[in-house]
Amino acid sequence: MTGDHREFLDATLPYLDAVYQLARHIAMEGVEPEDLAQETYLRAYAAFGSYRGGNMRAWLAAICLNAARSQARLRRRRPWDLPVGGVLDDLPVARLSGQPEAADVADIVIADLDAREVRRCLAMLPEPQRLSIVLMDIAGYTARETAEVLGCPRGTVLARVHRGRRKLAQLLAESGVSHGRP
Amino acid sequence: MDGHDLTHDKMLEAFLAGDLGAAGVGQWDEHLLGCEQCWRAVREDRNARRAVQVLRQPAPAWLADKVSFAVEVAAASPGAPPSRRRPPSAGMLALASIAAAAFIAVSVLTHSLISAGSVGGRQVANARLPAAVAIVTHYAETLPAHPQSSGTRGRPRLELVRRRIAVLPDGQRITIATWRVDGLTAIVATADRFFPMPRDARLVSGPGMAWSAQFGTLTLYCANRRPSELVAARAPESTLRTLAATLPA
Repeated sequence: MTGDHREFLDATLPYLDAVYQLARHIAMEGVEPEDLAQETYLRAYAAFGSYRGGNMRAWLAAICLNAARSQARLRRRRPWDLPVGGVLDDLPVARLSGQPEAADVADIVIADLDAREVRRCLAMLPEPQRLSIVLMDIAGYTARETAEVLGCPRGTVLARVHRGRRKLAQLLAESGVSHGRP
Repeated sequence: MDGHDLTHDKMLEAFLAGDLGAAGVGQWDEHLLGCEQCWRAVREDRNARRAVQVLRQPAPAWLADKVSFAVEVAAASPGAPPSRRRPPSAGMLALASIAAAAFIAVSVLTHSLISAGSVGGRQVANARLPAAVAIVTHYAETLPAHPQSSGTRGRPRLELVRRRIAVLPDGQRITIATWRVDGLTAIVATADRFFPMPRDARLVSGPGMAWSAQFGTLTLYCANRRPSELVAARAPESTLRTLAATLPA
């Protein structure tokens, strides 16, 4: 085993959370986001020899997008795979950590419903707007990094994310979501 | 755009992106006080940005280990990615032609060494293993030697060292995990299809078409049942056979 894999992991693991946030929202049904993150890192490792520097976080996100698209293409050729519901994916963190007290349960249930509704409304946006919002608002990428990942000018990203947010806010208002207010 | 021209919209995007300087922000603050349309756009933008935060969920604590394990397995596999290339210096370019000539001579020698046996201490360099077996074997080569037995009797103490990952050598999906059993570290791989028997392996007693292979101090034991299970460790075959029956698939 060479030391290159250690160099690779040292350079890329700090961005695992950003890759995971992206993977959670672009992995198709039946693909675990953790598996997509792993596939992203394996692809990145395979290409690390030719990596010439630049923004590592954006590079990983672009690989993650390509991996998701490859899996989607592969899945289209295997129509017998049954989709798996992503209900658990929608649960907020509070649900997964510790034992909630009775008074918190109502809040958690409302938050669950909100998360599911936000996810549903987000999925209704055109893909360029949805991806821009996922990258910038959920995964924490800057507009410049998002532009690099999506291969478009920064101004285009800003326009997409603004239009996407407005449309999303309107969809959420129609469905009665509380806009994340505490 | 309901009366708002493109420039107006661009200014709004710049304002929301934080691209306007202090003077620009001041002007827009004043503008927003008198423009309901722009103010609504700002509210919607901020509401949506806040709403999607509910979808953020930190990566599970074990994900870094899963990813690291997968990369380590890939690094240990035959056909692992080449070393990271760096731009060659002028001196390196000047030496390249000399090195090329030397390479031809050395490669002829190396080829004959590889054909004869092990190279650089890697016991399985010449084994021509099937891909699914090779990926397990090459990773198992990194295992430490079997420590002295602690002499404990009774139920073995199992510890999952590295959680399962899935890999796809030659399209065959196999899962690999690392276990420690009473101090012995073992790789356990499972697959729905049988692990092909390497040329240097031999059939042994066990479930299905069980086989075993020895590469230096590394032993492979495969129980070809459903799912097929391949165990690799630096231990005798009899120990691996017991492990195959003990460890969770």
